[in-house]
Amino acid sequence: MKEIDNFVKHTFKHVPKEERKEIIKQVTEILNEKVDDLMEKGYSEQDAIDKTVLEFGTAEDYYDAQDFTFHKPKTIARYRNDFLFSLFGALIIIAMLVFTDLYYTRQTIWFVLPTLAVLWWPLATLYRFLNKKDQEG
Amino acid sequence: MIQSDLIRGHLDTIVLKLIMEKDRYGYEIASCIKERTKGAFLLKEATLYSALNRLEKKDVITSYVGKKTHGKKRRYYKITALGKAYFKEKYSEWNTFKNILETLLEDDHERN
Repeated sequence: MKEIDNFVKHTFKHVPKEERKEIIKQVTEILNEKVDDLMEKGYSEQDAIDKTVLEFGTAEDYYDAQDFTFHKPKTIARYRNDFLFSLFGALIIIAMLVFTDLYYTRQTIWFVLPTLAVLWWPLATLYRFLNKKDQEG
Repeated sequence: MIQSDLIRGHLDTIVLKLIMEKDRYGYEIASCIKERTKGAFLLKEATLYSALNRLEKKDVITSYVGKKTHGKKRRYYKITALGKAYFKEKYSEWNTFKNILETLLEDDHERN
């Protein structure tokens, strides 16, 4: 059942890759059995799916019963936001440097060096973002 | 309705007991718990399925795909020899615990 598949995949999307596949397989199987069970009892398919999804609980309930504790990692969107933040921050700083340089000390072009230094900030966050994207993909 | 935290430590024992009676499939265990406790113990199904996964990894239970009377396939869980031993141990642990609580919390014990 597509809805159950999607629900389970969505619920466990933050689980580390090694375990995700196995957990999704197990839970999807059990939930599909439950939907079949409920339908045998007279529920319509949609009602059976809704009830199953509703009664399942959350991914945290699942982890609680495992021996390991699982911390929700930063999502890819968070990494992207970090990168965008650093990018805009760096651009503002660089713009100020360029302005100061051209306005007050037109004869010497010195803004390039601090600009290079400031660029490391967005570069570092871009690196982490791409790394994360690679892992998720 | 009881806080599931209190029972959680004994969830393994409960699951093993139910599977020991006969092989059961995932949702059957959940509905069995609900039925027998008349809804007094509301167990999150996620917690239960997680326990099944964990117990299977420990080789305390195994699973196989069987057929239900009406044709649909089901994954049944079955207790292993190791599981039976584990249950025995857990059960006696629970008994000791129960006795201790009874001794300490009940009023009618003899005071020396």
